[in-house]
Amino acid sequence: MKLFNNKSVYLLIPALLFLTLPLYGFFSAIFQSLSGGDRWTFEYYLDLLESTRFLSSIWFSIRTTLIATIVSLIIGVLITRSFYPYLEHHVPRLLVWLPMLFPHFVWGYMIILLLSETGLAAQLLVEAGVLQNSSAFPIWTRDPQGIGIIVTYVWKEVPFVILMLLPVYGSIKPGYYDLVKTLGGSKFRQFTAIEWPAIFPVLIETALIVFSFTISAYEVPALMGTTFPEMISVLSYEWFYGSGWEDRPMSFAAMVSLSLLILAFSAAGFSILQKKRWRAMRGRSI
Amino acid sequence: MSHTLDVQHLSKQFNQDLILSDLAFQLKRGEILSIVGPSGSGKTTLLRILAGLESPSQGSIHMYGKEITFQKANRRDISLVFQQPLLFPHMTVQENITYGAKLAGKKNNHKISELLKSTGLDRFKSYFPSEISGGQQQRVALARAMATEPEIILFDEPFSSLDPKLRQQIRYWVRDFLVNQSITGVFVTHDTEEAMIMGDRLALFHEGKFQQIDQAEVIHKHPANSFVADFLGGHLVIDEQNYVPLKECSLDPINEQEARSYNGVLQHITYQNGQAVGHIFLEDLDHKISLPLEKPISGEEVTLYIKESSIRTFGGSSL
Repeated sequence: MKLFNNKSVYLLIPALLFLTLPLYGFFSAIFQSLSGGDRWTFEYYLDLLESTRFLSSIWFSIRTTLIATIVSLIIGVLITRSFYPYLEHHVPRLLVWLPMLFPHFVWGYMIILLLSETGLAAQLLVEAGVLQNSSAFPIWTRDPQGIGIIVTYVWKEVPFVILMLLPVYGSIKPGYYDLVKTLGGSKFRQFTAIEWPAIFPVLIETALIVFSFTISAYEVPALMGTTFPEMISVLSYEWFYGSGWEDRPMSFAAMVSLSLLILAFSAAGFSILQKKRWRAMRGRSI
Repeated sequence: MSHTLDVQHLSKQFNQDLILSDLAFQLKRGEILSIVGPSGSGKTTLLRILAGLESPSQGSIHMYGKEITFQKANRRDISLVFQQPLLFPHMTVQENITYGAKLAGKKNNHKISELLKSTGLDRFKSYFPSEISGGQQQRVALARAMATEPEIILFDEPFSSLDPKLRQQIRYWVRDFLVNQSITGVFVTHDTEEAMIMGDRLALFHEGKFQQIDQAEVIHKHPANSFVADFLGGHLVIDEQNYVPLKECSLDPINEQEARSYNGVLQHITYQNGQAVGHIFLEDLDHKISLPLEKPISGEEVTLYIKESSIRTFGGSSL
């Protein structure tokens, strides 16, 4: 029984136990999305592909999530690399991490108070004479472009990106910067040769976490979004709790599709990090 | 023609501490200077200033007559080999070596493959740093610095992490490379033997100053002061003014009127180059010496005999 001689099988047991409930939910969702009463069917998936509402929603979700994720990563990297010696101290680090303490819903509400047409920013600009009246303020919350959703997630996820990157920056030996300088390298080369290889694997992992969370979370798009296009989680919720039962399998099919999308992204990220070069970067046995 | 490197009145102060004090030296093209001194004496700081990684508090550095004192490190045609190999972990051996040359705009595939062969790394060229040994990593670091073909290469104790045998081989390889390519070198070490092998001239560095700069033979024959004599180890320092070459000291009574003797304890015996060496603590001088033993010695108590005529004055010109 070679399979059971392999230690990794035993190591998987706690993870599988932990995942029992979510896996049950996932498989039951798959089951329901494929069940056509007394037979199996792909009908709901085919309906999804023909539904303008679903296609706009999935495109809007991917686009909004990708923008939020990439902007969070860029801002996170810029803040971490500019301030990481300060961020090693307690007070500045706490200040940066403060947004992580608030639930997403609260943070979304704060963005509405700040950036809505009658919000604080609009009123301040009117008071300062920059705007004639608050209706001249651009629509940044509940807008069809998803700006409010993006701003909320960026603000909320940047501290998480910093949290992931800080230990990486802390572990880069200062000697490497001196080395690249003496080899004739500019500041840009110092980034590409030293920092980028160190942060790249962490950025991929962080991007996957932020992307998966953002694309599937409900409360922020429900609060900040419009009715069309809407984020996939909002649409699924509506289908699930809609007036009739008939949309429920569509909701399951949409969620299963989303899971497959996240799975595909994760597999792509994992396969990149499994390349010899990135394993070598982490000092793993190759 | 002006010197490849001309250093004048170089000083460096950190807070209240004077690390380098009014240093001056010149190097001709292709010349190798070994700087030797105790750990923590500021040798690395000197190299970092020469490389442009730190700026001096005072003084000037000229390269071929052009002042480079405040020129940035990446604009100087000077490479630095660090104590640690500092290889890029995500690059293969070959990519690591090519990287420096590429930055310097001197990428030449033929030269890179020559370097790989001469370092014995040809077989490992597609390995990542984590797959090769520490000695091999340091050879890659050396090859990377050499591939940039700089005017000057600075070495900051690059062999300190290697085992003695490998160290021996690599010293000659580096020296031959520098000589063949007429590259000027500054080699920092705390090992006097290594300093003598690597350098055309030796600079003894202590308390922020060069105590003496000259060829090894001259320094050995005419040490400038007690630090030099003591650090090199070939002399018995009697006081701040006088010393005796160890080869003129004897553990057998000297049949001469003008002689003096010191009592000592033989602490242990080691064997070097096929000869027994006695490590003797001289109580009278509070000083330890290592002396080749001509014949076996019984007991721990020994007496060291010196002819008065053998006693020399530092900086003097006897011999």
